[in-house]
Amino acid sequence: MSKPLRYVNAIAQALSDAMAADPSVMLFGEDVAAAGGPFKATRGLLDTHGPERVRDTPISEASIVGAAVGAALTGMRPVVEIMFMDFVALAMDAVVNQAAKARFMFGGQCSVPMVLRTPHGGGLNAGPQHSQCLEAWFAHIPGLRVVCPATVADAYSLLRASIEAPDPVVFVENKALYALQGDLDVDAPRGIGKARIDRPGRHATIVTYGATLYAARAAADRLAQDGVEAEIVDLRWIQPWDEEAVFASVAKTHRVVIAHEAVQAFGVGAEIAARIASDLFDELDAPVLRVGAPFMPIPFAKSLEAAYLPDADRIVAAVKDTLA
Amino acid sequence: MPSSAPRNDPFPPDRLLALHRTMQLIRATETTLSKLFADSEIPGFIHLSVGQEAVAAGVIGALAPQDTFATTHRGHGHVLARGVALDLFFKEIMGRAGGICGGRGGSMHVADLTLGVLGANGIVGAGLPLATGSALAHQTRRSGGVAVAFFGDGAMAEGALHECLNMAALWRLPMVFVCENNGWSEFSPTSRQFAATLDKLGAAFGIPHRQVDGNDLAAVAQAATEVVEAARSDGPRILECITTRWHGHFEGDPQRYRNADEIAGLPENDPLRRSAEALLAAGIEEQDLAALVASVDSDIAVALEAARADALPDFDAAFRDVYTPTTLTAGA
Amino acid sequence: MVRDLVMPKLGLTMTEGVLAEWRVSPGQPFKTGDVLVVVETDKIASEVEADSDGVLIETTIPVGETVAVGTPIARWSADGSGAAPAPVNGTASPAVEAPAPPAKAAPKTGPLPAPLRDGERVLSTPLARRRAQDLGVDLTTLTGSGPRGRIKMADVEAAAQRPVSTPAPVSEPALSPVAALAGERSKPTTMQATIARRLTAAKRDVPHFYLAAEAEVSELMALREKLNADAEPGSPRVSMTHLVLAAVGRALAATPDVDRVWDDSTPGGEILSLGRGDIGMAVDTPRGLVAPVLRGGARLPLDRLARDAAALTERARNGRLSAEDFEGGAITVSNAGMHNVTFMTSIINPGQSSILGVGSVRSVFRPDESGAPVLKRELGLVLSADHRLFDGVAALAFLNRIIAGLERPLRLLRTA
Ligand SMILES: Cc1ncc(C[n+]2csc(CCOP(=O)(O)OP(=O)(O)O)c2C)c(N)n1
Ligand SMILES: [Mg+2]
Repeated sequence: MSKPLRYVNAIAQALSDAMAADPSVMLFGEDVAAAGGPFKATRGLLDTHGPERVRDTPISEASIVGAAVGAALTGMRPVVEIMFMDFVALAMDAVVNQAAKARFMFGGQCSVPMVLRTPHGGGLNAGPQHSQCLEAWFAHIPGLRVVCPATVADAYSLLRASIEAPDPVVFVENKALYALQGDLDVDAPRGIGKARIDRPGRHATIVTYGATLYAARAAADRLAQDGVEAEIVDLRWIQPWDEEAVFASVAKTHRVVIAHEAVQAFGVGAEIAARIASDLFDELDAPVLRVGAPFMPIPFAKSLEAAYLPDADRIVAAVKDTLA
Repeated sequence: MPSSAPRNDPFPPDRLLALHRTMQLIRATETTLSKLFADSEIPGFIHLSVGQEAVAAGVIGALAPQDTFATTHRGHGHVLARGVALDLFFKEIMGRAGGICGGRGGSMHVADLTLGVLGANGIVGAGLPLATGSALAHQTRRSGGVAVAFFGDGAMAEGALHECLNMAALWRLPMVFVCENNGWSEFSPTSRQFAATLDKLGAAFGIPHRQVDGNDLAAVAQAATEVVEAARSDGPRILECITTRWHGHFEGDPQRYRNADEIAGLPENDPLRRSAEALLAAGIEEQDLAALVASVDSDIAVALEAARADALPDFDAAFRDVYTPTTLTAGA
Repeated sequence: MVRDLVMPKLGLTMTEGVLAEWRVSPGQPFKTGDVLVVVETDKIASEVEADSDGVLIETTIPVGETVAVGTPIARWSADGSGAAPAPVNGTASPAVEAPAPPAKAAPKTGPLPAPLRDGERVLSTPLARRRAQDLGVDLTTLTGSGPRGRIKMADVEAAAQRPVSTPAPVSEPALSPVAALAGERSKPTTMQATIARRLTAAKRDVPHFYLAAEAEVSELMALREKLNADAEPGSPRVSMTHLVLAAVGRALAATPDVDRVWDDSTPGGEILSLGRGDIGMAVDTPRGLVAPVLRGGARLPLDRLARDAAALTERARNGRLSAEDFEGGAITVSNAGMHNVTFMTSIINPGQSSILGVGSVRSVFRPDESGAPVLKRELGLVLSADHRLFDGVAALAFLNRIIAGLERPLRLLRTA
């Protein structure tokens, strides 16, 4: 079954279908109910599923996430929204010390089946406190799963998978993708931790996720004009990430660039690069390169943000460096 | 030591006229920003305080030079009232090199530390701990300063407010909690956001609470002067200003969640119109008010031209401020 | 105190060595186990490791020079002190001790010279290094096309495909027809250079003569098939090479005079009887052709011989041969049978006196007594022999014994 729609509607549909399929699924967050969500990702859900299961909360991020942990421990499958990923900073205790650790520290007595949806990413000139990509924080925390869908189909199926997952999932949506159009396949297999070969190629691998996929595609198009076939691995899951897929690709191409919008230093790419260096050392015909944001808070001015965000130019340059 | 007792005489007309000019400056500036935003001359998003100008003018007007304040995402008015250079303000919001923050912060992060402005803030409630700490510093340093925390009604739900009320009360900090209660938190009414009331919350911590009509300039100015001075000598105070948000939560918000009557009734309660009427009644000439409007407009025109002419920020220069230069690190 | 580092003796018959490469430069400290110098004998390049910590003060012999075993080649001390010029030999100096070589007795052979060039690391990618090992390409001879001259896989593969250029005649380099040619040039690896020098010397200095004959091997092949089909678990597979080695071994045992070599290091030369029945065995490895010695091959029962030969081949291919493996033997067997060649005329390995080149088995029709064609399977053999030790009759007698063993292979099953 397939029909074209926007990424943001795929999120709403996944939420709606999950609520229809499982009465324990509930949503809460700031302005998610009556207003349909700040990005309209929860539009219509109040009407279809009622005020008990779709709730507006006060501006209380720490308590929103903390309450989700409590609800999850009490038989619900809450999906909560933190309006901008930057605001998770207010909820870190709930995410890191409660959600992530409950199962472990209670000796496996329980699980915390909750999803924290939150948008990251620049491109809207939203400035330093409304744009940051913080997924690496969560990928560093044992007990959490982190996912970042790049396509409309994945927005749907990965959200369904996240809701079905028994452990807390940080579900990261890139704001710049909300308007993206694409096909939906509600019956697509849903799983945790599987990457997707977005485009096959022989000469170099570009590992990426989220909105940077589109920069990678543009880069691959341009590289193709020079006869360079880049293989794009869309990670989808950051924790756990698909080592098998990444390693297989790198073993084939012997060159790899890891590209993401988040700050490069200590980022997701750093972990993947380190693993490739240790496990695939003898396959490498060039240094592992990363393309990420510079070590700077994301700046506001249009010109500054444009210079800040990793783009196709930088990916092309990095791939060419691996081929030099 | 200034007295904390309420004054009986109303504000003299010349003081009111100065505060009225501040309101006019805020109104005209934000109306200009609204147009600039619609014309895509401003990146990102902006939250305007049109309809709430009396709070900014009245409270900031009550501050002494050594006082400090932290504001919110809806903070243009406070910063303008404090006297931030208008061209630097426009440059910042338009993302220019000469902006007060070098174009790195934008509307939600305008700050001028030379004026005791601890910054607007993109995080709801985040200004509260900043102001609490600033008050602690005033107290410790015996600066005689007061710190003001502006916050919206929506921030009443943030734990930060509750924690800061407690701290301020425990330590009797020279601090004023100024709530700009415009009845809306984004797209949700306050009634659906907060189960208590601010006076009860203050009472729980033993902090005196005072409510004023936030659209009555003289009333705000009067009350603010009193609570600021009370805070200076006697510890924390809460000033809740009931006011009105005319525009959407941010520019471009069609406000479908508000009913038409409410929006239609807003100009009724226009703080500017009300203070103009009061001034005329007190003997200020019509043409004086007209001249005031003209002078504000020309200031804005000059600042806007300067902002438009200003260069875009240099990306590499931005790196210079990720850390403070220091001889303590090898790379600096 | 200052000590001398001397040219080590790396094998029984080693009398001199070529100083191929310094791995430590003057002034540089080294630790126990560090490779100090690469020394080449006529058989192999060996890395000489330090057996104590110290600092190299100076090298006294330039790279490329051949010196006798025991000759000081460098001076070192524990802490680098004594860097002043050493007194001339003979003037007694309390500071200079009698030669106390820091070199270990058993040097580690370096099949893969660490990628060094002029004491600097050769930049290469991990994949290029792996590929180079697989293809037997020496990275030190390549120029990388990557950033900072980094050698990439493509450089290695291109190098592996390039034909090896013929070395110019040593005596008249200026007249070399190659010298003026354009084209990409590269230095031979240490091993290539060693092989080139040895073979040139052998072909020039040893008076070769050659005898060719065919052996009819139908029975041999049938036997081999039976042996392998009947093999008990764990017993070695018997190859054609093993059978030829066995035949050579039986012949060698029967004609001990063949197990002699000519030593021309003394004026007028000497004849050295080895008498141990060692047989050299040519093995093709990724790094080039090597000829380690099958110890006592002349006296080994067939299955033991097959097992030892297989183990030796394995070690040769993995680059695990040591200097001892090249020690001894007057004859080498070089089997090119798998390469589709009828006769192979080989150059005698330096220090030996004969070599048997073995070709492929050919199916041919031969006339019988009545002139009718009979199908035969023939193996082409060429014995190259040193005329200083062999005359034609002796060499032919030896070759015929080998052929007899191959044609009546049951003899090979008897203990030699
Ligand atoms: C920690 C945090 N949560 C949520 C938001 C999104 N947000 C921005 S303004 C706002 C409403 C604030 O309402 P209020 O405090 O009443 O201020 P007003 O906008 O009415 O001036 C919200 C929820 C934010 N900026 N920061
Ligand atoms: Mg409000």
